[in-house]
Amino acid sequence: MKTRAAFVFVLMVMGAALAGYAQFDPENVCRMDDGRLIFTLDQRWTTSQKKEIAQAYDLDSVLMAWAMEGRPVITQNGIRWTTRKLDAHRIELSKEQGKSSGKDASNDKIILVDDQWIKLSSAVERESVPYGVNRLTRNTVVNLSDGKVRFFLPGYRDARRVFVSGSFNDWSTLQTPLHACDSGWTVTLGLDPGKYSYKFIIDGKWTNDPYNKLREDDTYDGYNNIFFCYNYKFVLNGFQNARKVLLAASFNNWNKTQLRMVRIRGSWMLPLYLREGTHAYKFLVDDQWMTDPANKIKRPDGMGHENSFMGLGDTLYFHLDGFTSAKKVAVAGNFNAWNTGELFMDRTRNGWQLPYVLAPGNYEYKFLVDGKWMPDPGNPCSTGSGDITNSCLVVKPNYTFRLEQFSGATTVMLTGSFNGWSPDGYRMIKKAGAWIFPIYLKPGKYTYKFIVDQKWILDPANDLWEDNEYGTGNSVLWIEP
Amino acid sequence: MKSLKGPYCVFFFIFLTSCFFITVSAFSRSAPVNMKVATLESISISGSAIDDIMGNVVGVTIPLRRAGRLFLLEGSIGNVSGNFILDTGASGLVLNKTYFRNSRAIDDEEGGGVTGTIAAVERIFVKQLLISELSYANISADVTPLGHLENRRGVKILGLFGMSLLKNLEIVVDLRHNELQIYKLDKDGNRQGASSSSSVKYDIIQKIVEYHNVMFVKASIGGKILDFCLDTGAESNVLSTDAPKNALNKVTITRRSNLNGVGQDKGEVLFGTLNEFIMGSRQMHPMETIICSLAAMSQKYGYPIDGMLGYDFFAKGKIYINLVKNQMGICLLQEVKP
Repeated sequence: MKTRAAFVFVLMVMGAALAGYAQFDPENVCRMDDGRLIFTLDQRWTTSQKKEIAQAYDLDSVLMAWAMEGRPVITQNGIRWTTRKLDAHRIELSKEQGKSSGKDASNDKIILVDDQWIKLSSAVERESVPYGVNRLTRNTVVNLSDGKVRFFLPGYRDARRVFVSGSFNDWSTLQTPLHACDSGWTVTLGLDPGKYSYKFIIDGKWTNDPYNKLREDDTYDGYNNIFFCYNYKFVLNGFQNARKVLLAASFNNWNKTQLRMVRIRGSWMLPLYLREGTHAYKFLVDDQWMTDPANKIKRPDGMGHENSFMGLGDTLYFHLDGFTSAKKVAVAGNFNAWNTGELFMDRTRNGWQLPYVLAPGNYEYKFLVDGKWMPDPGNPCSTGSGDITNSCLVVKPNYTFRLEQFSGATTVMLTGSFNGWSPDGYRMIKKAGAWIFPIYLKPGKYTYKFIVDQKWILDPANDLWEDNEYGTGNSVLWIEP
Repeated sequence: MKSLKGPYCVFFFIFLTSCFFITVSAFSRSAPVNMKVATLESISISGSAIDDIMGNVVGVTIPLRRAGRLFLLEGSIGNVSGNFILDTGASGLVLNKTYFRNSRAIDDEEGGGVTGTIAAVERIFVKQLLISELSYANISADVTPLGHLENRRGVKILGLFGMSLLKNLEIVVDLRHNELQIYKLDKDGNRQGASSSSSVKYDIIQKIVEYHNVMFVKASIGGKILDFCLDTGAESNVLSTDAPKNALNKVTITRRSNLNGVGQDKGEVLFGTLNEFIMGSRQMHPMETIICSLAAMSQKYGYPIDGMLGYDFFAKGKIYINLVKNQMGICLLQEVKP
């Protein structure tokens, strides 16, 4: 009997839940009718459903609560709302839409829509993939031996103008023309290693590369072609009688079928793009695992065998002179999430040192000497003030801010959209009569100002500036790809 | 009824804060200057002037880039290169003050709207504007801050490419292929040379009224005939809050934002789906729209408008606009044909 009652109870609960769920249709909550804006609210909505409605329709939670209670008239912010009970659970909340009511679009030269409303994703940054190998049926994109990349579009000899547009030139439609050659169109570009997307533009028409099998959605019902600018080549000499040689590595999760090597003049080779860092790898020669005979760096794999190791990228050294009597010195920064127990420095004759590989970028760090924080005394670049001063490290800077005047100033700080307009900014360095700060900035637009002895100023050497909310303007800088 | 004060207060605060930022980001960065149609007398393109602009070719295709729902044309003025927003809702060339602050101003002219009101804009002289294969010489342009558009969409925007720059031409906006085609027309409005539009089978043909270099078309919603401005510079269609009630009743409202700013940044914006939109004799598939006030814009245009047809409309197919015949033809995409 108990079991039956419980079963009935469960059914009732499920029924009630389903009935409540059936009432919830966020897109049919609001309508306009005869000059009134009308919301149909349902008391059976769950708390999260109410939240969803409140958020979608910018409805005050108090207004909603009072309407649900059935208050006949609610005046809020000068707006008179009225309610009407439709049935046992549903309530109509409405207000009159006056003439010319609502935000006036008259001053919007361009009508922008809220990104969330149109589900617009923000600009996609260049993807940092661990590795990549091109898949071409014809050599339309070629990695040349000097590190450059040659694009080749076969045919189209009657075309008037051909361009290549892609992530490497910020999708410019005019910046990179191809030149006519005997069998088509070609251009050679110097590019950094990495992954790039592209299309050709033939007499104004966007055109895909039919010979490139790597592609990804362009978000406009088409696709972009993908190519990798290479920076490394795995080589295995000998083994000429082998039927097949594959490479498996930490960067491809030790997949045994993906990376097939090619026999070229007495060696097996695999050129590819590889992200900077340290990688473990092995060759698979006719299904037999082997480490790289040409690489002495081998480390245990934890399963009784060894892997070969290789590193890619520049190694930088953190140095701390002195403190020779310290027991332990560590470095921590935003590059390792300020982990104090990870990067312990090695003792040298005159102090401490740590080799480390970092990708291009701007970093902050400090030393931890026997548990006591300190900025790098050998580095004049810093940010913050007092106890929260951090040393700044810029790996492969691509721009230098420069302020030629104000040589008598005590401090000059740099701040802008690149550091979230931090009022502490970056402390600029005085060098040969000018204040400078080298920095790494990704391609795009930046706004900035200098703070000279607490006073915010525009960059006097930069004609480009735009208005800001304070009426004082911000200097504008574009970093081109 | 349980009190909602506890957790709801926290949510309410977060909600209000987020709404404030959403709406501020959506609208408050608009430049406080009135000059949507300010370059009436700036450019007058005769047949020979078109030859100067397009050279010997009778038709060109210009690749469009996208930034959000805006369409960009790449070009340059002097040594400054970047993007121009294709903006059929603007009457002429409008330049971003960031890059043209120090250009030579035209002293003896007033920047004025169609109603003759003097607007707080500068007008400058442009020696040469290059847009792909188009070359415009000795034209005037209004200058106004457009930095907020750059910051929202992350691209360098030199200005707005408005309608007077396309006068007496046929333009074809093809968003499926991301291209703008431009054709020279003879005095009867037919394409010059071999390229012909006579073989194109339009799903809809509609008359355009051109008024002060801005295009207006008629369409009906809920049985009411309405006047719309054709505006490629609108990321969404816009329906005026003053549109007939029968038309407003046909919108399924899916979002609302209540902006508690001051002056022009105060007010309510509704977002929803426009149903029963008929152009010519054809009902089109539902389109997204904003509902807000267009009262002041109607006053400035000197043409009472019920709405604007923007991105959602242009995305429905290939749009042919003949500015000699003052006629628009639409080839609907297969998937949006009713």
